[in-house]
Amino acid sequence: MKLGVLMSEYRAGTDTLNRLSAEKLGVIFVGNGAYHATVKENGKASPVLEKAATFYVLAEDLESRGYDASAVDGRVKVVTYSDLVDLVFNDYEKIIWI
Amino acid sequence: MGKLTIGCFSSLVGSLSLDFAVKLSEAAVKKGHKVDLWLSGNAVMLSKKGQKAFRDYSYVQKTVDELIKAGNLQVTACEACAEARGYHKEDTMEGCKRFSMDWYLASCFDADRVLLIGGD
Repeated sequence: MKLGVLMSEYRAGTDTLNRLSAEKLGVIFVGNGAYHATVKENGKASPVLEKAATFYVLAEDLESRGYDASAVDGRVKVVTYSDLVDLVFNDYEKIIWI
Repeated sequence: MGKLTIGCFSSLVGSLSLDFAVKLSEAAVKKGHKVDLWLSGNAVMLSKKGQKAFRDYSYVQKTVDELIKAGNLQVTACEACAEARGYHKEDTMEGCKRFSMDWYLASCFDADRVLLIGGD
């Protein structure tokens, strides 16, 4: 199954994500989840980015938190709402929110 | 073109997840898709008429109203959730519907994609 996960929290949801597996896994950081794409705690990027998945972050949620694309980890692609619609309909069969 | 059903549970107007649901709906409709937005729990307040816009406060009713009028977006509130909050039928925003959860289930079965956004 091709599973898209909308990750909306920074301090929660990681346990749930770690229990998920899929033939193709996409993680889209939205809301406060956008911090996973940018923040480095003690010099280390978010451990979520170590998971075998394709990562995206919603541009609007990134910008509303004072970041731009230059602050985003190289493993994460910045997407718009329009791009997200395409991901939902074309790239992933199931979409969940955590 | 496809159909997306979004179930939005327990998010008040002004919450990030409700804003997200509306913005995703808007983007999907603009790309020619159909969207059913089911409002449950506190999220039913999105369909209440008479919301006012304040500076620096989230205001998505105008967007919802425009999308409903343009077609391809249906917004339905859980009737029981609304009544439990003292929000009655005559307070419902024009173009929005109120039904039992049967409507949401039927919409999910008929959709190409379903997204359930949980409570805050």
